[in-house]
Amino acid sequence: MTGATLLATTGPEITAIEASLLVFVVITAIVTALARDVLAAVIVFGAYSLGMAALYTFYRAPDVAMTEAAISAGVTTILLLLTLAKTSRIDHEIAFESVNLPAAGAVGFLFVGLLLTMADIPAVGSPDAPVWSNADVTQWYIAETYAETGVENTVMAVLAAFRGFDTFGEAVVVFGAGVAALIVLHREVFA
Amino acid sequence: MSDDSPGPAESETQSRTNRLDSQTRQGTPYTESQVIMPTVKVVAPFAFTYGLFVTFHGGGSPGGGFQGGAIMAAVVFMIAFAFGIEATREWLANTVIVALAVGGTLVFAGIGLVTIARGGAFLQYELLPVPLAEIDRVTYGMEAVEILGIAAIVSGVLMGLFFVLASGFAQENDDSDAGDTVATDGGER
Repeated sequence: MTGATLLATTGPEITAIEASLLVFVVITAIVTALARDVLAAVIVFGAYSLGMAALYTFYRAPDVAMTEAAISAGVTTILLLLTLAKTSRIDHEIAFESVNLPAAGAVGFLFVGLLLTMADIPAVGSPDAPVWSNADVTQWYIAETYAETGVENTVMAVLAAFRGFDTFGEAVVVFGAGVAALIVLHREVFA
Repeated sequence: MSDDSPGPAESETQSRTNRLDSQTRQGTPYTESQVIMPTVKVVAPFAFTYGLFVTFHGGGSPGGGFQGGAIMAAVVFMIAFAFGIEATREWLANTVIVALAVGGTLVFAGIGLVTIARGGAFLQYELLPVPLAEIDRVTYGMEAVEILGIAAIVSGVLMGLFFVLASGFAQENDDSDAGDTVATDGGER
């Protein structure tokens, strides 16, 4: 499928809300990267995460959207603000960093390279997308989850049952993060 | 935290900088706000209930222990921002946070190890020694891992990270000139 036909097939499917969310996410990402004031960057980064959470909801990934909203937009922003409150604030004359031209060039090349691969990516929601149409993995989970585990949310069944050992590893990593924070800050109690 | 110091641009900036640097009560800046406190009083019960719903209803709708635990921890953050981090720290004992984080890890590992002890694989829920139908053993085993395991670990660790970041290095409390040290560190940025 060439880029032109892809645009032709997906063009009408991008709604105005999706398009504005995409623009919002790109703008907030650029502002986060270029803002001189760290407080401003943290707040705009929170807005970026909220925009991403809304986008995930539009693309039918509510579990990811919920995690993005709770962890990235909520908890991470609060932890960054809390850390920032312990530093002194510098008043900057100019709002944005000057763009580093070699870095911008590298990012531009990467961007163009990624754009070239877009022609081979299946359209959003396409029934022929490999991640959806393979009978051995995705379709098996969708068909068998309820019979095997008795829960309707396939994502949770994969996390807690089919890939439970991975999830145990992740949970231990979270626990380890708490312990590591105590060690780094020379503390023995959380509160 | 609202900026409640009106005035010309320069003095406003000055007072804002001072407030961020203030080391009152172990260096956590706190402004009592008549807007934030009533808002949090109204929103917190609903947000906490939503966190419980996301945790307990993870099997039938989007969500699960990770998201629900994060939402419940965020409720504690809201309370801390409205009523002061130190007051919240005293209200929520260290024992609660440690019990959530450690207990969650032990429950998750315990459920996995029990099924190994009974001759199966890690987390082979149908081997759990509970008087239920086989499919119910799987369902409730998963719910136990999500609710008692993951939600507890995530909420406990996130609350712990919040409080431990708010108090910063342990040396700051022992040092008499902690404020100067912090200000210098920030100025080098």
